[in-house]
Amino acid sequence: MEHLVEARTATIRFGDFTAVDGVDLEVGSGEVVGLLGANGAGKTTLIRMLLGLLIGTSGSISLFGGRPSLATRRRVGYVPQSLGLYDDLTVTENWKFTAAAFGIADSKLPESFAGCGNELVGDLSLGLQRRVAFAVAFSHDPQLLVLDEPTSGVGPLSSAQLWDDIRASAERGTGVLVTTHNMMEAEQCDRLVVMTGGRVVATGTLGQIIGDRHVSLVDCNDWRRAFRVLDGDGLIVQVQGDHLRVPGTPERVTEILRRHDLEGEVSGVPANLEEAFIDIVSNPTRR
Amino acid sequence: MRAMVIKEFRQLFRDKRTLGLLVGLPVILLVVFGYAANFDVSKIPTVVVGPQAAEAAGQLHAPFDVVAVDPGGNRSTAESRLRDGTAVVGIVTGQSPTLALMDGTQLFSVQAAKAAFAHMAQADAGSGVETPAVVPDVLYNPALKTSWIMIPGLTGLILLFIGTLITSLGIVRERQAGTIEQLAVMPFRPWDVIVGKILPYLLLASLDLIAIVLLGMGLFGVPFVGSVATFGIGALLFLLVTLGMGVLISTVSQNQGQAIQLAIMFVVPQILLSGLIFPVGAMAEGIRWLAYIFPLTYFVEISRGVMLKAEPITALWIPLVVLLAMATAVLGLAVLRFRRDLAPSARRHSEEESEPLEAAA
Amino acid sequence: MTWGLERATVTFGTKTAVDAVTLSVAPSSVTVVVGGDGAGKSTLLKALVGLVSLSGGRARRPGKRAIGYIPATAGLYVDLTVEENLAFVARAYGVSGADYRSRSDELLERIGLKEARDRLGGQLSGGMQRKLAVSMALLHQPELLVLDEPTTGVDPVSRAELWRLIAGAAALGTGVVVATTYVDEANRGSTVLLMDQGRAIATGSPSDIIAAIPGSVGVVRESERPLGQSWRWGTSWRVWAPTSALPDNAESASPTFDDAVMIAALVNEGEEWCHGAPR
Repeated sequence: MEHLVEARTATIRFGDFTAVDGVDLEVGSGEVVGLLGANGAGKTTLIRMLLGLLIGTSGSISLFGGRPSLATRRRVGYVPQSLGLYDDLTVTENWKFTAAAFGIADSKLPESFAGCGNELVGDLSLGLQRRVAFAVAFSHDPQLLVLDEPTSGVGPLSSAQLWDDIRASAERGTGVLVTTHNMMEAEQCDRLVVMTGGRVVATGTLGQIIGDRHVSLVDCNDWRRAFRVLDGDGLIVQVQGDHLRVPGTPERVTEILRRHDLEGEVSGVPANLEEAFIDIVSNPTRR
Repeated sequence: MRAMVIKEFRQLFRDKRTLGLLVGLPVILLVVFGYAANFDVSKIPTVVVGPQAAEAAGQLHAPFDVVAVDPGGNRSTAESRLRDGTAVVGIVTGQSPTLALMDGTQLFSVQAAKAAFAHMAQADAGSGVETPAVVPDVLYNPALKTSWIMIPGLTGLILLFIGTLITSLGIVRERQAGTIEQLAVMPFRPWDVIVGKILPYLLLASLDLIAIVLLGMGLFGVPFVGSVATFGIGALLFLLVTLGMGVLISTVSQNQGQAIQLAIMFVVPQILLSGLIFPVGAMAEGIRWLAYIFPLTYFVEISRGVMLKAEPITALWIPLVVLLAMATAVLGLAVLRFRRDLAPSARRHSEEESEPLEAAA
Repeated sequence: MTWGLERATVTFGTKTAVDAVTLSVAPSSVTVVVGGDGAGKSTLLKALVGLVSLSGGRARRPGKRAIGYIPATAGLYVDLTVEENLAFVARAYGVSGADYRSRSDELLERIGLKEARDRLGGQLSGGMQRKLAVSMALLHQPELLVLDEPTTGVDPVSRAELWRLIAGAAALGTGVVVATTYVDEANRGSTVLLMDQGRAIATGSPSDIIAAIPGSVGVVRESERPLGQSWRWGTSWRVWAPTSALPDNAESASPTFDDAVMIAALVNEGEEWCHGAPR
């Protein structure tokens, strides 16, 4: 599969600070790749390098087979988290502006937005704003889409509609790179790249990232005391309904509970993405 | 590029506040400098006292505007009129030479009066009529120093800035950060929050005021001959008006930019139209009423009167009462609006009972 | 003492932000209010703490001294130090002397700021600011803790730590309400309230909500949109058949909480198209 965009040991330094450190990343036609990491992990800086807005200190970036340039950037659609729309212009005006900027004549607003063409973008709900932003980014038929936290803050229906639009474009051959720190969004991607401190610390499908990590699921009558006890021992306990999820083997957890005269059912269950993510970034190994 | 230009125009036309400023400001500046900015005084309120009062009054014409003729009065009668501000020139007849007392705090009026006397003397000389010589005696600001009349007014300007601009920014900053909502939920009474927010600015402004007055006295030799108490009362009332304005502006602004715009619209006209620079008496009739809606106009009168003329509180009752009324109105409105942010649920009595809710479905 | 709202309605002019919603917060529990932007979560929480007045229904809340509230935007003063922020809150709630010292030590220790008392609020990272804000809200050991989107925009590690703080508060007796847009956080509560466009579209424990799904749910792994109500999940489709049978190419699947959220939204027909954009 030909890669639409590729980074090889991409590195960028700002004085003493290394924002991106030896990153390998590629996005192929028709795939949805999720870039998962905390704020400050280097996601945004990496994106700007991929788009050619920043020149790296070392390593290489190739966009559509060549160095990122104004010409190649025309084939990319980018939606930043702030959406890149003008709040005080209508949907149609925003559309026309982008069409003019990219030199597309006769561009018409898609059917589905025809009803709100004359509304100011600032008056729309966030979910609708995001969908408009996506449509605008897609209006010039890009081969690569880069979306920064596309469904953050949006309700389930709008989110589903947006992912529908994203998948549909992937099926038409567009490559999509999504940055996120939302676990549910990450689960929508074909492949994940996990970053922390400027480095890639894990890649693969959801299953590969989680690997064979397990946590203990505790079912105890007095969950409050059990929580206090386990939390007091320094474990990051998560509550789920009236169960507790605790990193650590069932044996260890049972032992701690017994020490405090607590009894409960403790079983090992596969970790979820969040638990795997926390484990990975707390113990980073370069990948 | 054409797309950029079209876009910018569209956004500009939707931004009503900036548009208002673009259109409004030139108009305001034109009006002010056209009609209000005027150093030429056309009417000088004059009082004539002494045995030859009636005769002398008859000889006076424009720009002198004789407001009282008092044959039984003498120099001190005329002086007290000047001190009270009811007259700017007092002609004292009955001795030789005839004295023309002039209120040195009305710089331009005095200059106009002097010029008029000189003109009259010339005219008389030319026509051969004999008139007794008139000797001018400038009181309160004998050297006619501009700094002496500017600095008392300047104190007001500074209070205006601190009171309005800085107070409003301080409150709006909190609104922008979202912490006002939290204050409303904490065990504060709305009064605690309002007073707690205003008090530091009140104290700071008072300190600033004292500093400026002392500096004015020290550096420029501006006198302070009147009652400190009267000055203090006037300053306090004026401060309350400006602080109230600051709070009011903060209740209608969502961010610091808006607050600054409103504060500027409130402060800048006062610099030009309050008598600080251009005398109110010199403003065109149709525009003069504007000066009377601004609080600074009244404070300039009070501070000049007290510092330079030892004007008694009885003579200053009008500006003091006006400031009191303004302070009550503005602070009252500001507090009402601010309370709404801090204690929105008025009907709360039924909401804090202690029976537990029934289990939700 | 159970706090909460009973059929609460809040209107602003002609717009109904909250429509007859019932929310119940028992002590020692966590209730999660989930919904997208514009669902009415913030307004609901504000009605609970008394920041907006109700146009209908009732609210039950303890006195101001027993409430802790953090709005969606802030929670702390960025131009005060960590210590000064805590001191302000302590003074406001009347937490004094020895009590204050021990509580603040304990809270700062938990969030790792014990050595950073003199750092300005604005110098802390986003996640750390939120943790400090929650600690400030817990300083006076409130009976009711109300948090409006405390985890939005926060990195995943800090988010987990925030939830640890929240669960810890509940474990010690506080009744906690948390509003969030992240559906995966709904699981962390013993009770969930799903909101859409001002209405409550589902209430109950996560397992209750899943159990209440009418009909059956299935998975389709082909790329074409299946017949019936469906939505994408990763590379496959989730299908829901409320009354009829699943389409032929669907495998039966055990419904997840995410399915339940989607279905509740569909049932509510809160589908926003162009003109359904209340603001």
